[in-house]
Amino acid sequence: MILAFFSWEWVFDHLDDIWDRTMEHLLLTVIAVFFGFLISFGLSITVLRNRRLFAPITAFTGVLYTIPSLALFALLVPITGLSVLTAEIGLISYTLLILVRNTVAGIDGVPMPVLEAAAGMGYTRRQLLWRVQLPLALPVIIAGVRIAAVTTIGLVTVTALIGQGGLGFFILRGLSLLFSPVGTTQIVVGVVLSVVLALVVDLALVGTQRALTPWAKAKEAV
Amino acid sequence: MIELIDVSKSFPGGGSPAVENLSLEIKDGEIVVLVGPSGCGKTTTLKMINRLIEPTSGTITISGEPVDTVPAHQLRRRIGYVIQQVGLFPHKTVGENIATVPELLGWSDGDIEARLNQLADAVQLEPEFLDRYPSELSGGQQQRVGVARALAADPPILLMDEPFAAVDPIVRAHLQDELLALQDRVHKTMVIVTHDIEEAIKLGDRIAILSDGGQLEQYAPPNEILREPANLFVANFLGTDRGIKRLSLIPVSAIELDRGPVVARGASEAETLEAMAAYGTDWFAVGQGTELDGWAPAADVGPDGVHEVRLEPFRTRLTPDSTLKDALDAVVSSHTSVAAIFNGDEFLGMVTADAIRDEILR
Amino acid sequence: MIEFLGEVVAWFLDPAHWTGANGIPNRVWEHVQITVAATSVAALLAILPAIVLGHRKQGGTLVVGAVNLFRAVPSFGIVVLALPITIGLGLGIGFWPTFLALLFLAIPPMFINSYTGVAGVDPDLIEAARGVGMTDAQCLLGVEVPAASPIIIAAVRVAAVQVVATATLGAIVGWGGLGRYIIDGFAIQDDVMVFAGALLVAGLALVTEGLMSAVERWLVPKGLQTAGNEVARIAV
Repeated sequence: MILAFFSWEWVFDHLDDIWDRTMEHLLLTVIAVFFGFLISFGLSITVLRNRRLFAPITAFTGVLYTIPSLALFALLVPITGLSVLTAEIGLISYTLLILVRNTVAGIDGVPMPVLEAAAGMGYTRRQLLWRVQLPLALPVIIAGVRIAAVTTIGLVTVTALIGQGGLGFFILRGLSLLFSPVGTTQIVVGVVLSVVLALVVDLALVGTQRALTPWAKAKEAV
Repeated sequence: MIELIDVSKSFPGGGSPAVENLSLEIKDGEIVVLVGPSGCGKTTTLKMINRLIEPTSGTITISGEPVDTVPAHQLRRRIGYVIQQVGLFPHKTVGENIATVPELLGWSDGDIEARLNQLADAVQLEPEFLDRYPSELSGGQQQRVGVARALAADPPILLMDEPFAAVDPIVRAHLQDELLALQDRVHKTMVIVTHDIEEAIKLGDRIAILSDGGQLEQYAPPNEILREPANLFVANFLGTDRGIKRLSLIPVSAIELDRGPVVARGASEAETLEAMAAYGTDWFAVGQGTELDGWAPAADVGPDGVHEVRLEPFRTRLTPDSTLKDALDAVVSSHTSVAAIFNGDEFLGMVTADAIRDEILR
Repeated sequence: MIEFLGEVVAWFLDPAHWTGANGIPNRVWEHVQITVAATSVAALLAILPAIVLGHRKQGGTLVVGAVNLFRAVPSFGIVVLALPITIGLGLGIGFWPTFLALLFLAIPPMFINSYTGVAGVDPDLIEAARGVGMTDAQCLLGVEVPAASPIIIAAVRVAAVQVVATATLGAIVGWGGLGRYIIDGFAIQDDVMVFAGALLVAGLALVTEGLMSAVERWLVPKGLQTAGNEVARIAV
């Protein structure tokens, strides 16, 4: 039934537009995940140095995560206006919970004998973190980044409601032109491309993880 | 020399101290084994030497210098450390694992590479394993890599915490032999923790027997401990087969061998009976010089002498390097009640139960 | 800023905002209603087949695919996309597109978790159950489902919170609920209404999370509740 309303003509006429919006969408995502990762990394190291902070930090990032995206953006608007900043603050907030949780879990997951041997051989605390714990925690950390990235891509569509773009623009536009094929087409394009973009980014991150952890492959092969 | 002076360790909320006022000195180049029941503080003591655990009181010195005068990580780079589960870095190749401390110390690539080959040879690891990842190696191989890794920067001291407990007995025996052979070449000061008294006896130049709270019950060479346990605790810990354990320390070559009731190939009945009477046996053996053909019961010899007698071969053949414990086993489980000693195919002599007992009682 | 917050407080204190179809109580009620409805229906649709499939260990690849796909789908897009569908089906705007979209979003987490929870039950447990003479069905209901219950209940919690959040967007396709304040506020540029609505939505979401966590703790057998993280302690 939808397909009856789908206009390939519109799609081909607007390929440039579609590309631009997709790139916009990707950019918003990358910024959010990048800064989200930096902040989460800092929070994770803090937690690892001081375990008692884990509960409050998890609670705080958990609250941010639970607040529905539209509400969070709406709460920020009076402070930072209808801007990219508002969108990014909101998007970054959503990544924190999963990134902190996975980073801490990943580092905690490094086997005790490895840590003991490394300390016993004379690694300093910093060397232990960067040369042993982080490389071994990488798979779990990247798994967190994947989830954060895919979730963010979905949330970027909502930012269309506060004047930002990305593929959400097509969804909103399609809504206003609802009773025409052009409208339905735009909604579908928005949704489908959002999913495709998410899957592509997910795959790219999986590839990155494989490339960064050659030892995991050796284990699989055996 | 490593010296522990009145060292104590109490853990917060832990009740009685894990180690209380322990004093111990370990000479350069000797292997000292810390042994005792679970919870006696032996591992805690070991870890205080490289400051993975800091003592609550007391001092530890290495070559006269207290261990807390340098930052902990610097201290540890000069001490080799091997643990039970090895703890190889999964994300590094075997070669990179072994090269850990040299890299931390800033060795050149060339030096590191040469050292890697040297070590692989020393611990009997094939060179192609250097590029593999730890997950591709067997348990025994991983242990060898662990030892190589500890030795990489040529530290004068090696600390080992139950290093061979996680492998099966056959591999364990091999690794123990290899460690002793290695020590002959490198002469490190080694401190080894184990709960296995047999391992302690096999490896240790001196054994420190610890009881609860790190109490030093006895500190002496294995032979001395086995012969004269200091108290009931030590005696119980050594087990009721103390005497036999001592035997595993003495090689066959240490005692005088008997020729035994061996007669020539064409011997007569009379000569055979005389030989058996001389040794008090109910069997005889036939041989010429260093060739031993076999044995037979007294009843088999007849008027024709030994000429046509069917001989049983001596099934267990020990060497001068075999231990008296092996000899005792052969004595107890053979019809002849002796252990036949050979050098290759050359017959050297026989060991009897009496000879063994004489040695224990000496 | 202070002024603005003062206006928001005034908005909450205005009795007019507490009565009628657009009053806070009604909107909250609508929101809660649709959440309960969507979560329950989705649970029925998702959990039962998932448990059976998980028990039989069939359809594993489907589940993996579903996991990836589910996370990638934008909830906003689904809500809007539901609109032409419901219109085409003659169901109109407002409730039905919102409800269908919520179903679509609530089913995957409950399906995935029920499947992996049951499929991942320790094989030793199942062997023991069979060994004692349990039938297939008895094993499933008596051993596997209880063993998987923490994961399943966690999924219901996650789904419920997700539904509360997404129901906010229902206002875009003509439905009510607390999102109404935000969307209407944007439309007439009434910042105060937007903010107040956002506070209400955030509040409800947090309350739901808290409530569901308590329910989770109450329902999950004590022996299965997850312990805290173990911490590595080395004197480096």
